[in-house]
Amino acid sequence: MARLVVLGGGVSGHTAATFAAKWLGSQHEVVVVTPNAKWNWIPSNIWVGVGQMSKEEVTFDLAPVYADAGITFKQAKALSLNPEGKEGSDKPFVTVEFTGEGKEGTTEEVEYDYVINATGPKLNFGATEGLGVGSNLGEHTVSVCTADHAEHAAHELAKVIEKMKAGERQKILIGTGHGLCTCQGAAFEYIFNIEHEIAKAGVRDMADIKWISNESFLGDFGVGGLHMKSMGFAVSSKIFAESLFTERGIPWIVGAHVNKVESGKVHYELLDGEMGEEEFDFSMLIPPFAGVGLKAYNKAGEDITSDIFAPNGFLKVDANYGAGAYENWKASDWPSTYQNPTYSNMFACGIAFAPPHPISKPMKSPNGTPIGPTPPRTGMPSGIIGKAVAHSICDRILKGADAPLHEASMANMGAACVASAGKGLFDGTAAAMTIYPVVPNFDKYPGTGRDVDYTFGEIGLAGHWIKHILHHLFLYKAKLKPGWALIPE
Amino acid sequence: MVKEIVTYPTPPSTEYSTDVRVFDENIVSLIDNMKETIEANNLDALTAFQIGNQFNVVVIKEDNGSYLELINPRLFSTKGQVTTEEKTAYFPGLSAKVTRHESVSVVYQDREGNDLSLKATGDRSILLQRKIDYTFGSTYLQKLDKDEKARFELKLEYGSNIAVSESCPTVFQRDKLLKVINVAMIAMVILLFISFFVSDENALVTMWSYQAYTALAVLILNIIYFFYAQYEGKKYTSCTSCQIGNIIGTTVISLFKLTLLFLASYLLI
Repeated sequence: MARLVVLGGGVSGHTAATFAAKWLGSQHEVVVVTPNAKWNWIPSNIWVGVGQMSKEEVTFDLAPVYADAGITFKQAKALSLNPEGKEGSDKPFVTVEFTGEGKEGTTEEVEYDYVINATGPKLNFGATEGLGVGSNLGEHTVSVCTADHAEHAAHELAKVIEKMKAGERQKILIGTGHGLCTCQGAAFEYIFNIEHEIAKAGVRDMADIKWISNESFLGDFGVGGLHMKSMGFAVSSKIFAESLFTERGIPWIVGAHVNKVESGKVHYELLDGEMGEEEFDFSMLIPPFAGVGLKAYNKAGEDITSDIFAPNGFLKVDANYGAGAYENWKASDWPSTYQNPTYSNMFACGIAFAPPHPISKPMKSPNGTPIGPTPPRTGMPSGIIGKAVAHSICDRILKGADAPLHEASMANMGAACVASAGKGLFDGTAAAMTIYPVVPNFDKYPGTGRDVDYTFGEIGLAGHWIKHILHHLFLYKAKLKPGWALIPE
Repeated sequence: MVKEIVTYPTPPSTEYSTDVRVFDENIVSLIDNMKETIEANNLDALTAFQIGNQFNVVVIKEDNGSYLELINPRLFSTKGQVTTEEKTAYFPGLSAKVTRHESVSVVYQDREGNDLSLKATGDRSILLQRKIDYTFGSTYLQKLDKDEKARFELKLEYGSNIAVSESCPTVFQRDKLLKVINVAMIAMVILLFISFFVSDENALVTMWSYQAYTALAVLILNIIYFFYAQYEGKKYTSCTSCQIGNIIGTTVISLFKLTLLFLASYLLI
């Protein structure tokens, strides 16, 4: 009997664990280690953050789902990996610390034959002064990164709307809280959902809503922008985003690294090195992501963290980390099997793998501050990668240790994204976008690096309906209800 | 070398927005071509996109005759709004009222790849905004407000939809197959109708076998249609998804009709 341990139960970890359990059957064991008792469909947190959905609608308890699927569930956080075992045992293991099940604080060594690191990110609020401490959100701004954060955000937003109704003008600032953030899409969705809710509340004229981000142009989204078929023209997402922002009366600041947050004010540095300030009454700033801080030790107990993890704390996989400068970047730098080069039974998926380099053009201010989006590894790609990794491991367990690995490179993978711009059965809008490949392949597609025929987008009410249907569809899938495996990632 | 400037109604290329990554002689010669094209056409500025090149390069002719070269320009830190009448080489002889930022900051690189920045206000700011929009594949048409766009479109001989790189055809080869299927099914209906007036047992048996063979043929044709149509649908990649939906729908409807006909024939003949 082999044991697969999956660290993390987010989109990609959950996908990997559930498919592995299905394919391996009861002959082998799948263990999921995740500090959260509940699974969260993160894309819908946006709607929780504007009070249009409850926390309960976007989460569910993992324990009963895993019990039905025959997956061993440990509500714990992973602390360290010992891929060579320890003195007296060659069996690799992971040390976990329980966060629930009445065993809070106790640790356990969980042995494994294969391990998937799908821990997702540490929300690194601490990287920006005043944005928070470590992975904890600070007092000045809100966040929609977790369901709890989103619930808090909705509460604060309701207060701001009340003030506007009482005749008090309010400043709202939404965007990214650091020069190296990813997930601009979430902030993009949030700002338009807020605008929609404020307009619905009849106080749009009392709100000054503003966007701030680290993108070098509006509509970069961390993927260097994409093409939208809009108004009959195949135009860049920059033009599309600018017209959407203008139409909704939202000015923007781009190329900004937020370096300090105070009560009611952010300080930022721009790409040309100039410093600026922006006041706010309500602000949601996405934090930068870092690895969760897993440690690794060899058989002798020596720290080998820097050998298997990149400096940002994400697990090294089969990527080319030595590509160097922008002009040398190639699509082939991106990993395809997500296997750790040192330990062949160790894999990563979702945000937890270390990308070789950004997708957008790297930029820095004259002061040397890097300002530019880091590559997104969320949503559809993370699910696809999770499934491919699970497939590889299942083959190795069932067919032998030499079974070929499955590949899922972001340079050969398309992604579809539906970004909500307001929730409502008849007045909702969402931008539906597809992009192929996620990582531009300049050799294969000269020019933009992308296949323009597969990279397009539209905005409208239908997009909102799709987004809402996807919400139910993916929760259905994650709950492993009948036919779940047929629903794509 | 003087290059031809792409003008309406030629659709702008769909290859654009490519950041320069290697600063070599190709970029130098591109910039030289742009300068010569500016001179030959007496322009104030040009983007590589306007001469059909994918790279993010803008060349501006200064009042003193010198040139400002902006590679990979990005525009940020905008202030104020101003609406002016603008002209661009893509729409020769036309102009439109465009709302732009009053002042902008731009970061860019020079031909050696050094990072530089500049600030601009007034006409220069507007020029930079128009040119940088070109590097993202856009003319000022996308910047017009609704009323101005409607006014401007009246001046365009072919409307503003010429720029779609690939339009989805409305007539396909597969429709011929569909026609055959429909004709066969009409034949089945006629045969069914005739059977009501035939009382001879033997003739009815023959008719039933004709009916069964035709039904089988229609079923096979439907299967062929289903797969061929998908093959054809994939040739027009920009509208594959709606085509596939259409094909599945058409096949399901056709098979439903066939099933009804077959059942009716089975029960009635």
